[in-house]
Amino acid sequence: MSRIGVFICHCGENISRTVDVERVAQEVGRLPGVAFSTDYKYMCSDPGQTLVKKAIQEQKLSHVVVAACSPRMHEKTFRKAVEAAGLNPFLCEMANIREHCSWVHENREEATVKAIDIVGMMVERVKKNRILPTITVPVTKRALVIGGGIAGIQAALDIADCGHEVILVEREPSIGGHMAQLSETFPTLDCSQCIMTPKMVDVANHPKIKLYTYSEIELVEGYIGNFQVTIKKKARSVDEDKCTGCGVCMTKCPQKKIPNKFDQNIGMRTAIYVPFPQAVPNTPVIDRDNCTWFKTGKCGVCQKVCGPGAIDFEQQDTLIVEAVGAIVVSTGFDLYTIAEKPKGSPIKGYGEFGHGKIPDVIDGMTFERLASASGPTGGKILRPSDGKEPKQIVFIQCVGSRAREKGISYCSKVCCMYTAKHTMLYHHKVHDGQAYVFFMDARTPGKSYDEFWRRSIEEEEAVYIRGMVSRLYQKGDKIVVMGSDISVGVQVEIEADMVVLATAIQPQKGADALAQKLGISYDKYHFYSEAHAKLRPVECATAGIYLAGACQGPKDIPETVSQASAAAAKVMALFSRNQMEREPIVARVREAGCVGCFACKKVCAYGAVEEKEIRDRQGNLIKVVAYVNPGVCAGCGTCQATCPSKSVELDGYTDEQIIAMIEAL
Amino acid sequence: MGKPLNYSYYPGCSLHASASEYDLSTRELFNVLGIGLTEVPDWFCCGATPAHNVDELLSLALCAKNLELADKVEGDMAVACASCFSRLKTAQHVLGVSDVKRTQVEKAIDAPVKLDSNVKHLLEILAKDLGLERLAAAVNKPLSGLKVACYYGCLLTRPSDVPNLDCAEAPTIMEKVIEAVGAETVAWTHRLECCGANFTLSRPGVVIQLTNAVLESAKAAGADCIMVGCPLCHGNLDIRQKEIEGVYNTSYGLPVFYLTQLIGISVGLGADKLGLDAMMVNPMPLLKEKGLL
Repeated sequence: MSRIGVFICHCGENISRTVDVERVAQEVGRLPGVAFSTDYKYMCSDPGQTLVKKAIQEQKLSHVVVAACSPRMHEKTFRKAVEAAGLNPFLCEMANIREHCSWVHENREEATVKAIDIVGMMVERVKKNRILPTITVPVTKRALVIGGGIAGIQAALDIADCGHEVILVEREPSIGGHMAQLSETFPTLDCSQCIMTPKMVDVANHPKIKLYTYSEIELVEGYIGNFQVTIKKKARSVDEDKCTGCGVCMTKCPQKKIPNKFDQNIGMRTAIYVPFPQAVPNTPVIDRDNCTWFKTGKCGVCQKVCGPGAIDFEQQDTLIVEAVGAIVVSTGFDLYTIAEKPKGSPIKGYGEFGHGKIPDVIDGMTFERLASASGPTGGKILRPSDGKEPKQIVFIQCVGSRAREKGISYCSKVCCMYTAKHTMLYHHKVHDGQAYVFFMDARTPGKSYDEFWRRSIEEEEAVYIRGMVSRLYQKGDKIVVMGSDISVGVQVEIEADMVVLATAIQPQKGADALAQKLGISYDKYHFYSEAHAKLRPVECATAGIYLAGACQGPKDIPETVSQASAAAAKVMALFSRNQMEREPIVARVREAGCVGCFACKKVCAYGAVEEKEIRDRQGNLIKVVAYVNPGVCAGCGTCQATCPSKSVELDGYTDEQIIAMIEAL
Repeated sequence: MGKPLNYSYYPGCSLHASASEYDLSTRELFNVLGIGLTEVPDWFCCGATPAHNVDELLSLALCAKNLELADKVEGDMAVACASCFSRLKTAQHVLGVSDVKRTQVEKAIDAPVKLDSNVKHLLEILAKDLGLERLAAAVNKPLSGLKVACYYGCLLTRPSDVPNLDCAEAPTIMEKVIEAVGAETVAWTHRLECCGANFTLSRPGVVIQLTNAVLESAKAAGADCIMVGCPLCHGNLDIRQKEIEGVYNTSYGLPVFYLTQLIGISVGLGADKLGLDAMMVNPMPLLKEKGLL
């Protein structure tokens, strides 16, 4: 026979104002199985908890129901108190008579009757509660960081500096990401390369960081604390151990006219190349699509001139398996292109801007390369079409962003600031030039940001026109910009030499495919979703996977670095223990009833369901059943709702418990 | 040959008045192409620009009633005027997303709104229903050597989610149709700019400025003539052309054809069946020079 203790909380006046708590305690006290019931002003306070503990011991209680606020608020508090008094914490349940009752009703009589019902239901439920043992999972104290931009670099360095091993995987031949492409950074105008490259070198030299560049994630298996990750290391055609980075191969390569993606295809590179001189690692890679040897079987000049004999045309892609306990995803962003989009895509492109076919209409990143001292023009602002210096330059903000009718409704967050920076860089380099900016409104909520934006107008003479541009077209060697100035209500036409578009920030291409490998969720734009928008901003809903940088949403550098360090702190918290404990609210399969249809496996969003073979003593296979890995299960209960034979149940939320509650009504 | 094509034809007010040559050439051309047109019985004005500026519900109800009338005739609805096309499509769009407005309009017209009936501009019928191959097969006098500036104006393709005729900001349907009958097209900058439309009556100064920019751009691109699918654009470009030449002290001499007139020439219809005499900028010298008449 159960000896249940029921504790009714007044919550100051929050509950007792509309619910007659004394009557609830009296009536519930008469229910079968209830040995003790009482009320108290603040049950969550120290004297309140002591009341619960004392009652457990003095009344020899077997189960506890606390009728108070939402379990989200204080379930942990009371379960701890119950545990301290010597009961299993999962024999304690909360009846929510605040959010579900007193707060939403006015009639005292009706609210009191409802409160009695709610508590009565929980009394019946708690009778069916089982003792649940805490689950412990071993933790592999190595981290995987995916993406070697500033977010990944920062997260990797922070984790490695704490003494844990880090595997850093980068898709491109060098780490550095987009930040390495930038010329100067707002709001201080310090050179991006100068603050970025030392960090890149730190990564390369760190004894705890293992770097895989030109590599991609092939497969992710396992769960928090115990992931197995398969990494595809693409054939570089250069032996990294032998190569000294002397660069002779690149100077001798006869293929010299290949557009360099790092320079936004304005600068040229060779077929064997490093994307930029400060690349880490400084080991070239052969672009097999453009290499004469791979196309025709002739040439091989690089092989002939390479002193250490590092060129290896026969190199193959290799697969490497690494065991890690946590994963930081920092795959970054890509810029929206205004070119025509294929049918079916919600993003429409910009036909009114010629779909990107006017050569001197460039995007913000291309302008960064033009302004960069190490860029294709050596830092001179020159037109891609004819190499002339533009004297009239127009910047257009919110291209793609905040344009629902074009398919993207969000704000890309960094464009107001980088456009202000562009006008300054332009003014510093072209003294007799004039910059115009078309903008909707300037969004500059960061430390020293608004001052920076004001400076572009007040000191650097940029002319800001509030309004949007309806059309761009080529007229001779000018680009006609037709727009509106809505602050004075007139149409504006500017004959510009160059136009720079602040195009929207989008997640990297393939972000969705990677998310599917990792089992993490993403929004309709393919930005990765955090577990909670406010309170868990760097964690994924999938345990053990964390987010850093623009893969989660548009971000500037300071914010990206902060988030990367936050993700690293989360990883370090996980690594601070050898075993991790987790709540035992997980699904359990009743193997006798399971027919192995695996409907549960199909619906499990966390990849927690595995296939388990049942064998007899001779080792003959009897059947294959579902097995829920308690380390991965998030306790959502979808499998329970799906199972056609009712063979999987969520501990703490079994059908038996739910039915008992309904029958109590 | 595919299945026979039959449409309920909604000419709109302009085609019974200032754009009668558009009506004439449409009927003659479709007759040659074997496309059946049955005029919507008892149709009336779509409300055009004034109605929706004064009373949105009225403009929606006018279009809804016309859609209902058209439903009594076999086939999709064929519309010649870009403005009628835009209003009918807009009404379907607005009434499709607003239950409140649909209920009000259904009460006003005392009938359910035909949201699913297909409203098609002539261009769509020629390019998609008939198809460019069958159109090309009907040509006996290809428009070789004629450089055409295709002028879409504002309403044929916009706003982007309403008419769904073609890409709103970079359409090609007019070019495809006229190239199918042998003409050349020019790439020009103002094919989607506004001509000024109705302001031709209240603010002619504005219209002269805007229309001049369109004419200037077409001329600069080397066009021999302009092709339109809208009576109002036609009015501004054709009727006002001489006046504009005077204001800007220049000479364009660009005949402005309806698409049905140009295609009509290519299938061998004569000037009298296409209403070429109604054009203010005389097309005869050009057509003779190119050996087309």
